[in-house]
Amino acid sequence: MTASPWAGKAGALRPGTAAAATAGVTPFAVGLLLAAALQYAVGPAVGPFFSDLLIKIGINVILAVSLNVVNGYTGQFSIGHAGFMAVGGYAAGALTYYTSMLAWGGPQVQGGVFGVGSALFVGACLVGGLVAAAAGWAVGLPSLRLRGDYLAIVTLGFGEIVRVLLQQTQDVPFTADEARALSPVEMATHLGGSLGFSGIPFYTNLFWVWCFVTLTLLVAYRLKESTFGRAFLSIRENEIAAEAMGVDTTRYKVRAFVIAAFFAGVAGALFAHKIGTTLNPRELGFMKSFDIVIMVVLGGMGSISGATIAAVLLTVLPEALRGAADYRMIVYALMLVLVMIVRPQGLFGIREIWELPPFARRRGR
Amino acid sequence: MTALLEVQGISLSFGGLKAVSDFSIALRAGDLQGLIGPNGAGKTTVFNLLTGVYRADRGSIRLGGLDLGGAKPSRIAAAGLARTFQNIRLFGDLSVLDNVRVACHLRAATSMAGAILRTSAHRGEEAALRAYATELLEIFGLGDRTGEQARNLPYGDQRRLEIARALATSPKVLLLDEPAAGMNPQEKAALSALIRFVRDRFGVAILLIEHDMGLVMKVCEGITVLDHGVTIARGTPEQVQNDPVVIEAYLGAPAQEGGGVPAERRS
Ligand SMILES: Nc1ncnc2c1ncn2[C@@H]1O[C@H](COP(=O)(O)OP(=O)(O)O)[C@@H](O)[C@H]1O
Ligand SMILES: [Mg+2]
Repeated sequence: MTASPWAGKAGALRPGTAAAATAGVTPFAVGLLLAAALQYAVGPAVGPFFSDLLIKIGINVILAVSLNVVNGYTGQFSIGHAGFMAVGGYAAGALTYYTSMLAWGGPQVQGGVFGVGSALFVGACLVGGLVAAAAGWAVGLPSLRLRGDYLAIVTLGFGEIVRVLLQQTQDVPFTADEARALSPVEMATHLGGSLGFSGIPFYTNLFWVWCFVTLTLLVAYRLKESTFGRAFLSIRENEIAAEAMGVDTTRYKVRAFVIAAFFAGVAGALFAHKIGTTLNPRELGFMKSFDIVIMVVLGGMGSISGATIAAVLLTVLPEALRGAADYRMIVYALMLVLVMIVRPQGLFGIREIWELPPFARRRGR
Repeated sequence: MTALLEVQGISLSFGGLKAVSDFSIALRAGDLQGLIGPNGAGKTTVFNLLTGVYRADRGSIRLGGLDLGGAKPSRIAAAGLARTFQNIRLFGDLSVLDNVRVACHLRAATSMAGAILRTSAHRGEEAALRAYATELLEIFGLGDRTGEQARNLPYGDQRRLEIARALATSPKVLLLDEPAAGMNPQEKAALSALIRFVRDRFGVAILLIEHDMGLVMKVCEGITVLDHGVTIARGTPEQVQNDPVVIEAYLGAPAQEGGGVPAERRS
């Protein structure tokens, strides 16, 4: 080997990250156990109000962490995440509702946490995710050409189109006979309209929500730590340089949209089957998208732990401020302005909480 | 030996301005050539044309027989043409190590599913990429800064990191756009050694844009001179240095920034 002009000055090799400890499928198993503990120990202990809160937290964590893939990793600005949530929620809700009607003659819950109904529900969550992912692909395509504000407007427009289309749908049939009279295409146009889609069976529980939270966190984190995540981040850092280093930026932007939309769709599906939900297009409009954007911005663009903590905070806060619900948006806006002034990069910036002092010394991330 | 990079008659206009007219150049494997000219001569535009940032109005660009006309930058990088930027374009928030690892992207073969499941193949590949990137950084004297954010590096280190990053794409041809800009004399001396070393060690052909004539004359084997987008001279450093047309272009041009002065006029 020829001597480099800097030969001998090279520093010691840094040790690798703790990859070995978090390898393979072990973390999935750990997440499964935690979800089971929430379902069978924590849930019964804290009662229905806090169980519902833990479910809401889980859903919002999925939404924030997935939006972070687009807004945080690749630095695109999507403000239509609730649109993907709506697509997934309605697709999954319609699937379980109409299947239950046709198979069991009514929308009642069938079986327990691992019963036949839950199997249908989990399948519907995945289908909802896939349908939303397809929508994400369609919305991601314009990002080939658009940047910044223009992309934001497209995503906003997408969310509004979804809302308006859902409002145009017709009433949901209440009886099995009415449901049987509909063709599959007609079922897709009978989603309750502006009055909302009621009667979706309440399958969502702590176990399944936190299984999907585990999946979302692991996918987001492992992508971030891989060559794919670095490609996403390079786009946000400098698109021209990213292209010059061989990153197909358009392809990666679309990938980011598809991944984010998939998990937003899953979150929508979990929301659709939650106790007390009547799916309503109005609730999944711009305001909901805005809530999710705030979580990502507050947590730090690109930080998974930041988005997670912000999602927890911003789910608990409105409950704590219940009396002052009308002022929620004002509090949010003020908080956002404050963060932008004091810490423009968000709570954690691009980093994870364990990469920051005092949790860690400087490391080669 | 046939040319590795073969550029024939490329031109580009910005509105009414002919930034590059009928530019041709040929680089063989291991060549070390310079591209000089006063500010605004069109040098950076040539790089932007070669790397697909702009599309040439006319002409052809071939790399190892492959036609690169109209290809997007990422594909051109994959074909083996890498570059640095005159105005540094590092991934500022990312670590020094990750800047290089982004450029290792083209070597990575595992799927997204492999990354999500952290299969042993994926882990092996990540470990190999890390080792490769670390070694590359050590060669460039950045081995003890791998964990630092790129934006926090001193200027000279940033320029070196850009070269290391470009090399991580395993290029056949490396385009360096004013790598010595902002460096002090010691750093410049080390840089000229480094450029030669990079050529020898990595076997790449190098095309160098540089305003420091001393450096260009010392390092390059052949030089092309641009003025107002037109190629006005081509030859060995000695030939170019003594070409009256070149001297005229430099002296006739309005006051230069960055010391674009022929070597014999430098004190
Ligand atoms: N994107 C652009 N749009 C319009 N004019 C440009 C653009 N890029 C470069 N130019 C012009 O083209 C000419 C050549 O620029 P450049 O290639 O950067 O010169 P050099 O690198 O030799 O200093 C200059 O007159 C510059 O102003
Ligand atoms: Mg230039």
